[in-house]
Amino acid sequence: MAKVTIYSTPTCVYCKMAKEFFAKNNVAYEDHNVASDLKAREEMVNKSHQLGVPVIDIDNNIIIGFDQRTIEGLLGLGKAAAPAA
Amino acid sequence: MYDLIIIGGGPGGVAAGVYAARKKIKTALITDGFGGQSLVSNGIENWIGTKSISGYDLAKSLEEHLRAQQGIDIVDDDLVTSVAKRDDGTFLVTTKKGKTVETKYILLTSGSRRKRLGVPGEDQFDGKGVVFCTTCDAPLFGGKTVAVVGGGNSALEGVEDLLQYASKIYLFVRSEVLRGDPVTQEKVKSHPQVEILWNSVIEEIHGGEGSQFVTGVKYKDVKTGESKDLPLDGVFVEIGLVPNSDFVKDLVQLNDIGHVVVDHKTQQTSCPGIWAAGDVSDVLYDQNNISVGDAIKATLNIYDKIKKS
Repeated sequence: MAKVTIYSTPTCVYCKMAKEFFAKNNVAYEDHNVASDLKAREEMVNKSHQLGVPVIDIDNNIIIGFDQRTIEGLLGLGKAAAPAA
Repeated sequence: MYDLIIIGGGPGGVAAGVYAARKKIKTALITDGFGGQSLVSNGIENWIGTKSISGYDLAKSLEEHLRAQQGIDIVDDDLVTSVAKRDDGTFLVTTKKGKTVETKYILLTSGSRRKRLGVPGEDQFDGKGVVFCTTCDAPLFGGKTVAVVGGGNSALEGVEDLLQYASKIYLFVRSEVLRGDPVTQEKVKSHPQVEILWNSVIEEIHGGEGSQFVTGVKYKDVKTGESKDLPLDGVFVEIGLVPNSDFVKDLVQLNDIGHVVVDHKTQQTSCPGIWAAGDVSDVLYDQNNISVGDAIKATLNIYDKIKKS
């Protein structure tokens, strides 16, 4: 099973949509609140070179924003296209 | 062949979808998501019938209401990229994913999108200090110095969102006045963390040597013509909206800003067979509640047209 990590803030609606998407598809994920967890924020910036949420890490593939098609591809879900990474 | 294609999934599009389904108009609704621009709003306090609702919950409830209807086809992961009128007066709608759909009538409820500054560095530092979703990313700027660009409600609310995080906020206003709610204006004007730079326009966003993130901006005082540098960590762009009307610009009359000109009694555009409602139209007030009403007006007018034909 893929290791999924999401870096999010509580006020970010796209983060919420991503987490809801994972829940709906029974994908286990680790959630880091980068509004309060500074160590996780640094980790997110190092991985993505981005200062914006959500950042999603699926088996070391970094996805910026809630890019559902890419996520579906990486997780092998549904009718998705081939993985972009 | 559909009777009606509704383009967009904001409050207007969904309202039209519900009415069209209940009138048994053969309809498809095409959108890349529900909720419209309010989606990222923390709290909406003027959606009538609900004291307070988040943009996210509003989007969910709109989607749920639409999906409860029988007999409407919903495409929720695609965008309309072009509309062509054919000789027999019907339309061919093409989507980003390359789908083509035929329809007799079209309702544009495609809303608007955020305007960008159009200055050097804006694209390069997008997500690296340049922010287009203040509610999403404000918490990442704890203790930082940031700029908010704009003088309207969204800029003022952006400043409010940032107050609990950023240590210093420069508000770049291109004129000498703030628009937006007086209550918020007062709060922003008098707050010790906020400094308003009047008559100021950002000319360039830059990063320092070896830095992949924003380290400052160059801006111009439009009154004196003087350019200055200001070191900061983030630029929050809140300068208003551009209507999503590009894909019909050759078919319907647009105003200077790109809004689709409509007859406000029926919502008909200059092109027979195309109606428009909500923020994409030249409606005087961009409001969720108004978009809903106008889109319903359009749908009922389309229904009248179908009955007569």
